[in-house]
Amino acid sequence: MVDAARHPKITIKAYSEVERVDGYIGNFRAFITQKPRYVIEERCTGCGECVPVCPIEVPNPFEMNIAPRKAIDVPHGQAVPLIYAIDIENCIKCYQCVTACGERDAIDFLQEPRTEEVEVGAIIVATGADHFNPSVIPEYGYGRYPNVITAMELERLANSAGPTVGRLIRPSDGQPPHRLAFIQCVGSRDKRFNEYCSGYCCMASIKNAILLKQEHPEMEITIFYMDIRSPSKGYEEFYNRARQMGIRFIRGRPAQITEDPETGNLFIEVEDQDLGQVLEVEVDMAVLATALIPQPDTQQLATTLTLARSPSGFFMEYHPKLRPIDAPNDGIFFAGTAQGPKDIPASVAQGSAAAARAARVLNAETWEIEPVIARVEPSLCISAQGKKCGLCAAACPYNAIIVEVGRAAQIIPAKCHGCGGCVAECPQNAITQDHFTDAQIVAQMREYLREKPEEKILVLMCHWCSYGGADNAGVSHFQYPPDSRGIRVMCSARMDQDLVLEAFRRGAGMVLVSGCHPQDCHYISGQQVAARRFERLFRTLERLGINPERFRVEWISAAEGEKYARVITEMSQKLASFDKAALRRENEAARKAIMQRLLRWRSLPDMAAVLAEEEEEEKEAVLE
Amino acid sequence: MIRPEQMDRRFVEEILAEPGGEHLLTCWSCGTCAATCLVRRFNPAFNPRLILHKAGLGLREAVLSSAEIWACSACDACYPRCPQGIHISDVMRAIRNLAIRAGYEAPGPAAQVDAATCSGCAVCTRACPYAAIERKPQMVNGQERTIAWVDRNLCQACGICVAACPSGAMSLEAMNDAELLTRVAAGGWLEQPGFLQGASDAPRLLAFVCQWSIRAEEEWERLQGLNDEHLRVVILPCSGRVEPAHVLLALSKGVDGVLVMGCHEGECHYQRGTYLGRGKVALLNEMMAAVGLAPQRVRFAESSALERRAFERQVAALREAIAALRPAEISEVRG
Repeated sequence: MVDAARHPKITIKAYSEVERVDGYIGNFRAFITQKPRYVIEERCTGCGECVPVCPIEVPNPFEMNIAPRKAIDVPHGQAVPLIYAIDIENCIKCYQCVTACGERDAIDFLQEPRTEEVEVGAIIVATGADHFNPSVIPEYGYGRYPNVITAMELERLANSAGPTVGRLIRPSDGQPPHRLAFIQCVGSRDKRFNEYCSGYCCMASIKNAILLKQEHPEMEITIFYMDIRSPSKGYEEFYNRARQMGIRFIRGRPAQITEDPETGNLFIEVEDQDLGQVLEVEVDMAVLATALIPQPDTQQLATTLTLARSPSGFFMEYHPKLRPIDAPNDGIFFAGTAQGPKDIPASVAQGSAAAARAARVLNAETWEIEPVIARVEPSLCISAQGKKCGLCAAACPYNAIIVEVGRAAQIIPAKCHGCGGCVAECPQNAITQDHFTDAQIVAQMREYLREKPEEKILVLMCHWCSYGGADNAGVSHFQYPPDSRGIRVMCSARMDQDLVLEAFRRGAGMVLVSGCHPQDCHYISGQQVAARRFERLFRTLERLGINPERFRVEWISAAEGEKYARVITEMSQKLASFDKAALRRENEAARKAIMQRLLRWRSLPDMAAVLAEEEEEEKEAVLE
Repeated sequence: MIRPEQMDRRFVEEILAEPGGEHLLTCWSCGTCAATCLVRRFNPAFNPRLILHKAGLGLREAVLSSAEIWACSACDACYPRCPQGIHISDVMRAIRNLAIRAGYEAPGPAAQVDAATCSGCAVCTRACPYAAIERKPQMVNGQERTIAWVDRNLCQACGICVAACPSGAMSLEAMNDAELLTRVAAGGWLEQPGFLQGASDAPRLLAFVCQWSIRAEEEWERLQGLNDEHLRVVILPCSGRVEPAHVLLALSKGVDGVLVMGCHEGECHYQRGTYLGRGKVALLNEMMAAVGLAPQRVRFAESSALERRAFERQVAALREAIAALRPAEISEVRG
């Protein structure tokens, strides 16, 4: 960190918040607010003479609130930059620090927040994670029994720079503990709180156990665990060493901790799975290996940078296997636990990878983007005619569309990822997507529904999940009836309701629209845009006199070939149960109304071309 | 040795298809339920984790023929702690349903009805937390009468019906009134005069303690060791089993105070025994006040298996309350 601070090309903006980020890859503009330290950065020498004179002591969060800090202080001893800051909420404004600062004259109570604009080419999000507070688990008694502590508290109590200068004592009586328990998976691998495995805690507890055992060989240390997860290089050997040192491992998740109110000792009740017996283990102190959880302000930053979050709450990467460092937005990268729980080696590796990914952007003259971006036809956009609309911008997961009344909507090509949500949402059909135009899709539909359309299931599938699912069904040799005809688009958000109506107009027996599961959507929130639209579409179909049972919505992931086959089989059975003559009558009755709805859409130049060609063919067929 | 053919996948599917059995396979055998479960205090062989594990492997005969599947009282102490959110008592019920269909029966004990004295009033059917009692037409002395009938597969032997029955027709092995009174009065303890009569230097207390509201085995043994001329501990299956008549009898014989200790509301091993026990004491307190007996002399206290030395604290508190009565108002029954 000190090296980074001294580096000529690195500027550290500590104690600051990113307020807003505009622009796109290679051309971001970040608005960063420096919070007031009430200390003039250039004048503070970091001497610390202001600290002893400050009369206010508050809990020190860096020391897990076990030790105090002053109302003027640095976050911790190794803080970079070494500039003191006043905790204005707790400061009583006695101005003793001003006197102590003397000629350096670094203290300024009139400082205000300052916002500055910074131009950057790439952004790395490395905001870390937070710790789970185990006081919500009543059976472990954290917060009620003083000798139940968290792993982070142990880190401070055992640290030679910590509040006890490295002497491990227990909070109830200040005595050194002789029997110590580590309890794993507190708040993680627990559906009540966090379902995921935090990953780092097995090795962290083993590390602490080994350190303590080396220092106090007589100490009885027990680790209670469900599974020891030690899959990285050298980890299993480390675990073996802990066993050889005499650290006791008990396989079983403790059910409860109780306290003897007289001695403060703890009793851990656990079923030793290997014995199949319930043990009651008396210890002097218990350490809870708490889960890593997302920072409380993750959503705020996600909104600022237009990022997605995984179901676990951490930031979501572009692709879990192929692009694990990249955010869904180009030019933004992740490092460390902001993206998901991980240990130090993995964080360092991801940090290096993020720096390399960012360097690619900074060193590029031009940047290649996907060719499937959306375009606006200005003459059709009603925004240009002074009307308020903005449906496209609301559907865009990337904030790539600028809508101002009086001007046609503008799409920033570098920000567009080509989901096509805006194309489908635009009521004026003013937006098209390159390589996925309505005319191209309708041309495919025409071929698929040319003969006996009422015996066919037309499927609209998203590129990333459902198309993969259908492919998976094929390569896995899952059998399903041959009635379905699939059209691939990039995202379920692209599945315009006009396309579904057009399929019914052409007499399709059934229509399936299928995309990713909400948490898997490749385009952050494209699936949600689609889901809302399909919800409305059911009612529209009913009004048009089309049996809504002929329309189905399914979220199928790329791994769910079995589900794809099952859905098609079910639909095929349903289709077989319909009376075909009745279907044709239903289509006939609805056709006029559908035509009415699709009037403007059908008159778009490229659509009209496809339809004209079709009419030509029909005429020829009649003549023959 | 367990052979692969004993692992019956169909058995697993039958459990999964049974209402309540859906979550069987999400169990990863962490043992939280086994270490939480209080049943093992009386039945060390009972281990819910093992039952779920064996069921998940499809060991049909081993599971259905085991006596342990009937031991879960659905107190659901394990459910809020299960990291996989499995409603274990529901899985147990699903397994029992399969066992009943396969012709197995709960080994008991179960409450019994004395057909000759049962009036068919149905107080017990309403009191039973397990809906184990129903009224059925039965032949009694050559006459058909509609009286109580206990489904032994549902009965958990809590004794709530025994306490509730106004005719004394319900009985439960080792928990009948006569048996309880023998325990209360053993060694002539009941006949000794008490503190409020000036005959003893400290209050003499009788404590009815629910067997689930106190901690593990050794704590229970410690409790028995506390018995002396000033204290008598009578363990009940549930605080809902307490009978106001027994309390009044003790007071009339010179006992200074009665403590009824049950589980915390919501933690009752028999679902609503605490509610019933506490309600009975509350009504009794009102009755006592009405006839001029200090209601402070009978008290309901809540405790749980998580608390150490809770019983001593409650006894001390009641002793203090009774000592404070003297000499201001030595309670006497009016008239």
